[in-house]
Amino acid sequence: MRAEELKGHLDALLLAALEDGPRHGYAVMEVLRQSTGGRLDLPTGTIYPALRRLEHAGLISGSWSVVGGRRRRAYRLTAAGSRALSGKRADWRDFVTVVNAALDGRPWPSPA
Amino acid sequence: MAEPGLISDHLATLSAHLPPQLVEELADGLDQTYRHYVQQGLADDAAAEAAIAEFGEPQMIVAAFARTSPARHAARRLLATGPVVGACWAAALVTGRAWAWPVPTGARIGFGVALITVISLLASAALGSRYRTIGRAGTAGCAGIAALDTAMLIFVTVTVPAMAWPLTLALTVSAARIIFTTRTLSLMRTG
Repeated sequence: MRAEELKGHLDALLLAALEDGPRHGYAVMEVLRQSTGGRLDLPTGTIYPALRRLEHAGLISGSWSVVGGRRRRAYRLTAAGSRALSGKRADWRDFVTVVNAALDGRPWPSPA
Repeated sequence: MAEPGLISDHLATLSAHLPPQLVEELADGLDQTYRHYVQQGLADDAAAEAAIAEFGEPQMIVAAFARTSPARHAARRLLATGPVVGACWAAALVTGRAWAWPVPTGARIGFGVALITVISLLASAALGSRYRTIGRAGTAGCAGIAALDTAMLIFVTVTVPAMAWPLTLALTVSAARIIFTTRTLSLMRTG
């Protein structure tokens, strides 16, 4: 899956990758790679601007540490980020249901 | 583990366009990507090539940072809301018969020139593609807008004895913009 196809969904993926605890940029990419079986074809370098954007939006917060003599920036979800992730998950599930229904020619699922 | 020349060159290109903090973070990520390929059994140069291929071209990374720059977003917001603030002030100045206010011609011209300069800086930040230019122009534009709003706020408060509602509205809008630009400048300093 290429970067262009991920437009609009990258934020949710990054927030989900940080759900289990703080991670730095490379670790975030590793989580995404593992969780998708390596099917995300996203240049690793573009993860960092996206993380900064989420930080500026207050959805994640970053902090520096020193590992092996090199400074490393790790990010964690904020409360606003957790809420945003829940909302994005719900939106995505609705979207998938709607598109699947349209593609498969099925009627819209009626409430039980 | 020594850093191969390819990686140093890549980081040098990024350093020419991005602030040190961002490059430091990218350097750590690129180093980890490189080490990953070395652990997979690739020779140093091959591992460096694979790491750079996976990481992406410097131009692409710099462009991605430029698109997400808080200075650019602030400049776009200020330019988008500028006409509304301007309309509030126009209404306030016309209803308050501002041409009769005791303001020297030089000060009026100076304010106009400063306003045009600030709008140009914001436009440069909103439309630019170079991260550093966006940051500098955006910071200067935000500071300029805050200074102009503050100058109007102080001038009107000191010189206009009775304020009609259009003037009160214009002052409120300017005060809100001062708060926005101050917060944005603080974000730009830390980001």
